[in-house]
Amino acid sequence: MLIVLAFHATGCGSSATPGGRPGEMVYYGEGGDIKGFDPVRASDVDSALALCKIYEGLVEYDYLARPYRVVPCLAESLPEISADGLTYTFRIKKGILFQDDPCFPGGKGREVTTGDFIYTFKRLMDTKNYATGSWIFAGHVVGVDEWAKASEDRSKPTDYSRPIPGFEAPDRYTLRIRLREPYPQLLWALTMQYTFATAHEAVEFYKDDFLNHPVGTGPYRLKRWQRNYRMEFERNPTFHGQLYPSEGAPGDREKGLLADAGKPLPFIDRIILYNVREYYTWWQMFLQGQIFTVGISKDYFNKVVNADLELTPDMVKRGIVLRKEPQMDVYYLGFNMEDPVGGGGKTPEEAERHRKLRRAITCSFNQEQIRETYAGRLIPASGPITPGTTGYDPKKIYPWRFNLDLARKLIAEAGYPDGKDARTGKRLRLSLDMGGAGDAETRQLGEMYVGFVRQIGIEMTLNFSLQPEHWRKLERKETQMFSAGWVMDYPDAQNVLQLWYGPNESPGVNHCNYKNPEFDKLYQRILTMQDSPERTAIYQKMADMIVEDCPGAFMFHRLIYALLRDWVVNFKPHDFPYANMKFYKVRPH
Amino acid sequence: MTAYIIRRLFSVIPITMGVLLLVFVIYRVIGGDPAVRLAGKNATPQKIEQIRKTFGYDKPKFFNWQEAWQNTKPAFAQFRMEFARYRSKEVGVGTVFQAGFRLLRAPMAVFDSQFWQIVRQFAQLDFGKSLQSNQRISRMMADGVVPSLCITTPIFVIELFVAIALALLCAFYRNTWLDRTFVVISIVGMSISGLVYIMLGQYFFSFELGWFPVWGFEGVNYVLLPVAIGVIAGIGGSLRFYRTIMLDEMYQDYVRTAFAKGASHKQVLFKHVLKNAAIPILTNVVVAIPFLYTGSLMLESFFGIPGLGRMTVDAIYTGDEPVLFAMVFIGSVIFVIANLITDLCYTWADPRIRLQ
Repeated sequence: MLIVLAFHATGCGSSATPGGRPGEMVYYGEGGDIKGFDPVRASDVDSALALCKIYEGLVEYDYLARPYRVVPCLAESLPEISADGLTYTFRIKKGILFQDDPCFPGGKGREVTTGDFIYTFKRLMDTKNYATGSWIFAGHVVGVDEWAKASEDRSKPTDYSRPIPGFEAPDRYTLRIRLREPYPQLLWALTMQYTFATAHEAVEFYKDDFLNHPVGTGPYRLKRWQRNYRMEFERNPTFHGQLYPSEGAPGDREKGLLADAGKPLPFIDRIILYNVREYYTWWQMFLQGQIFTVGISKDYFNKVVNADLELTPDMVKRGIVLRKEPQMDVYYLGFNMEDPVGGGGKTPEEAERHRKLRRAITCSFNQEQIRETYAGRLIPASGPITPGTTGYDPKKIYPWRFNLDLARKLIAEAGYPDGKDARTGKRLRLSLDMGGAGDAETRQLGEMYVGFVRQIGIEMTLNFSLQPEHWRKLERKETQMFSAGWVMDYPDAQNVLQLWYGPNESPGVNHCNYKNPEFDKLYQRILTMQDSPERTAIYQKMADMIVEDCPGAFMFHRLIYALLRDWVVNFKPHDFPYANMKFYKVRPH
Repeated sequence: MTAYIIRRLFSVIPITMGVLLLVFVIYRVIGGDPAVRLAGKNATPQKIEQIRKTFGYDKPKFFNWQEAWQNTKPAFAQFRMEFARYRSKEVGVGTVFQAGFRLLRAPMAVFDSQFWQIVRQFAQLDFGKSLQSNQRISRMMADGVVPSLCITTPIFVIELFVAIALALLCAFYRNTWLDRTFVVISIVGMSISGLVYIMLGQYFFSFELGWFPVWGFEGVNYVLLPVAIGVIAGIGGSLRFYRTIMLDEMYQDYVRTAFAKGASHKQVLFKHVLKNAAIPILTNVVVAIPFLYTGSLMLESFFGIPGLGRMTVDAIYTGDEPVLFAMVFIGSVIFVIANLITDLCYTWADPRIRLQ
């Protein structure tokens, strides 16, 4: 009785087992934990994926084009950029409507204007919103920092009528962004959900509950959301309409990715995303067809992929397709450059010895062995720049790749012949901090690192922590060596090079606390440079400087293997797939 | 009795504060800086500092001596001045009282610290917002408690009745093949991890046979399998426990007397043994009640039950300390109340017990 009443009370049971209505195209997937539907607060991948179904921005990624490029979304065209690169002028499409919602008079969504974008940008800069994406404009746009500072006064509400000089609205459909200095990453940043058009009526109407009531312009609207369990989106009837791209990258036509060229989006009527925690459950649901895609965990890899890294015949027979996608990320083992043993050093001689020690340790890491352990699902890294980014050279050879002879020579030169301190005769002991405590894969990887450095005589102790504790240690510079990774926010190497910029030292993102004035000078320079061969050359030079100084041992980039039901069509792997659901289609099955 | 209940209810205050202090030390003193997590991936040190200031993470952890001293010093000077003016008849006694009141209040700033901020907030039953989901924690708890109870309550009730019934049966047929069979079954049941029951049950009954849904919380059929698995996984331990209690009672003098007086087995078991075993049973039952609210982590995770168990473990893994503070706070309050109910039940089960 209790259970029956509970289902009644919680609203469960209204839509029982999966299965669409006749003629309806439904997509079932995994949605993860989201931080709500407030664009300025949602910084994680799951939240971004959910938000981008409902909200839209001025620009978005071209779905098919590679290398990645930005195309207009709510803007009529790409912005006019002034010759000095300081003014971006966007023309906003006319007739774009916010979805119908009780927050609007009569429940009818109104037209989006420039004012909505300026309001959104102000929300992003309002410190009372604790917006995680304010870095997009902070320090770049004229007047935003002053406006943000004024919003810090918690004794009164933020004055949204106070203009920000850098955001101008010459008319209802024109938005002008004025920058303090050139900011070539601006267009990439504007593809992120933080800047997506928000209606002030919705924020004012729902107040604190706004994060549960998204009101956007996008192809879908939220039908039902049970936190921790399930999200359901349905087609937005007032969507402005968008067409499937007619051009793609070479090979897309052959793969059938242009079969729907020019057709109106979205194709799918309803999207149901479950929050499945256990891979074991996820796997069974995938095989039963209850969800349409699943990653392949290490434990299942050999059951579904053969020695040639192709799908097994059983899987093929089930109508399952293998996806192999290199990820735009980099994983490395960082050295705390403030550590007295392997850090930057106090004198040039000490700095050189420490540099040799870091290089020796790096040379002892056998990337190939790690790759084999992970069944080939990794690409050995040769530097900080990630695949798919300008400046990444797949043929580049890592000078500190696995080489035990070199490692032994370097460690001797560093003052530790056979891993023993030449002055004291004591064995060198280092500690490595890793997040993911309790995770068998992390432990296995850690043990491998210990085994690698033992070959050059170093004793390494492992400290495993839960992720929050790991971050805390990095923030407080409490580690000697640590494992870390970076997933790109946009396809520009500047995004990953910031990890080595001196002023970003912990608690900022530079957890190695690497300081190199020459590198910092180049970093400041690239911040204002437009994409050009010259900038790419600087990226490569900066990457070389990091490799040379070796504040981190670059280990690998992930190669994601995932499975997809063959009834999902128009699917093309994308590193920033947040708004891509509108392009997918589900064949009757 | 009323005085006893009131006294016990007041004990909620030091107990919950002690528990909050423990969690605070683990997460805020030893643990990381929540401001960094709030600030997000690309946060600048300035932004982190601003969040720290806004949320009060920059305040002292336990006592704000500096603030208290800064407030008390001028308040004391003011009081001295007003008192001097009163003595020279410049002001009335009311002004001195006001200054005195300000002087008394000034040292209270010592409690303007991170820990006491949490205590003040929780005293008003304001649990704040989750760092991870931005949702109000009271709402998250309200959403999660019903699914959790949908799983834990039937498991608890079924397991209790089945275990007691089987324990009585074992006691009745003690040292026979039936008793020994149940003992073996319960030991085997206890030796196998709950995870094995879940994985096997889900695989065979949901995936292979399709008798139950693999995952979800959409109707009664979605909770049948998790409840059955929960009962099977837990019954071994309960059976062993209750069997021991029943057997203890079976060897008591009053049982022999009852049999000697010609009482039937049924009368002895249900009228005498069960009633005398009520105290340990009650203790065991009431101790389990707070755990009903915290849900079952593994069952919830594997079967997609959006309950509090999953929420709590997520909070541990992500360092979502406001959620943990709230869960611990509610848990300790329930625990104290459950213990109070146990004591009250003791008086009902055993008239010799008096609450003082």
